Amino acid sequence: MEFEELRKIWDAQNDQPLYAINEKAMYNLILSKKKQAHRITNISELLIIIVYIIAGSFVLGMNLYDQSSNISMYVLSAWMLGSALFMLVNRIRRIKGSNQFDRSMSGDLDHAISVATYQVRISQIMLWNILPIGALTILGLWEGGKPIWIAMVVLLFFALSYYAGGWEHNIYKRKKRELEVLKSKLNNAG
Amino acid sequence: MTEKEQQQIFEDWLSQHKGLIFKIVRAYTFTVMEQDDLFQEIIIQVWHSVPKFRGEASVITWLYRISLNTAIKWTKKERKHYQSEILESVEHILQESRIQTDERLIWLYEEIYKLDKIDRSLTLLLLDGFSYKEMASIIGITESNVGVKINRIKKQLITKSKKHDHYGI
Repeated sequence: MEFEELRKIWDAQNDQPLYAINEKAMYNLILSKKKQAHRITNISELLIIIVYIIAGSFVLGMNLYDQSSNISMYVLSAWMLGSALFMLVNRIRRIKGSNQFDRSMSGDLDHAISVATYQVRISQIMLWNILPIGALTILGLWEGGKPIWIAMVVLLFFALSYYAGGWEHNIYKRKKRELEVLKSKLNNAG
Repeated sequence: MTEKEQQQIFEDWLSQHKGLIFKIVRAYTFTVMEQDDLFQEIIIQVWHSVPKFRGEASVITWLYRISLNTAIKWTKKERKHYQSEILESVEHILQESRIQTDERLIWLYEEIYKLDKIDRSLTLLLLDGFSYKEMASIIGITESNVGVKINRIKKQLITKSKKHDHYGI
């Protein structure tokens, strides 16, 4: 064969696509992504609630036990317990809202995107929440007359937490983007 | 660019040019699992590329650039993960067309697959009628280098096709 013949054979495929998009397989992929998004959201919500309740109660308990007059630490414990309550309210709202999606491929995908959007929003709020908690902790240490090196270590810990939180937040954003691309692909296949 | 605009452009590109992506997926993969994976990877990269498109090249050239770069990177990183036989049994997003494919086209894809990743890209671009200048810009090598490689690829394909004709495979 000469090269022009090869090109003719090649060009012939332009009239008949090599592949078709299998909607059932795509549906299975959507279901698995939906389950994954649910699992991650569920675990992270429970973790946030538990961690804030334990940390808030611990700080409050220590303050009450020491009969401390360190205002920053009282504000910090209230802030942490408030954060746990905020998370709990959001979790209840999310679970209630999950009934509004129909059990079609598009409904499941919209539901998965909604969970992913929620996860992105929550991770952003929790990221910002590190700032007041860090500031109150440093303030509490300063008010309690603790050595400067302890404040530096705590500051470093919060900086690392902020960095890790940002990294996690970007993962959620990427997952959400993948679902949106999948939705566009589904619209296109349909 | 709003997200809605991005989505609209993405859907237009996909509906008009998905054949181009299919060709690259077919040329760079061996198993159906790989096909699914590379297809999804390219689709995601195309989505991300929409706001960066400035119209300096045609949409086809842009899509070729994005898809080929993704395929080349994917070949380096991912292929080794998809050797398992078990993975073959799951259902796949991309299904081969049921229309009878020309046996010579299957042979051509097999030959393209045997080339190294840069030659593979060049062959796809050559068969789709791109100029040496466009190929050089898409792949990121000099025009003269493109010329040398293309001459070698053409000779190689013609020689092999003659053997293929001769043995009637």
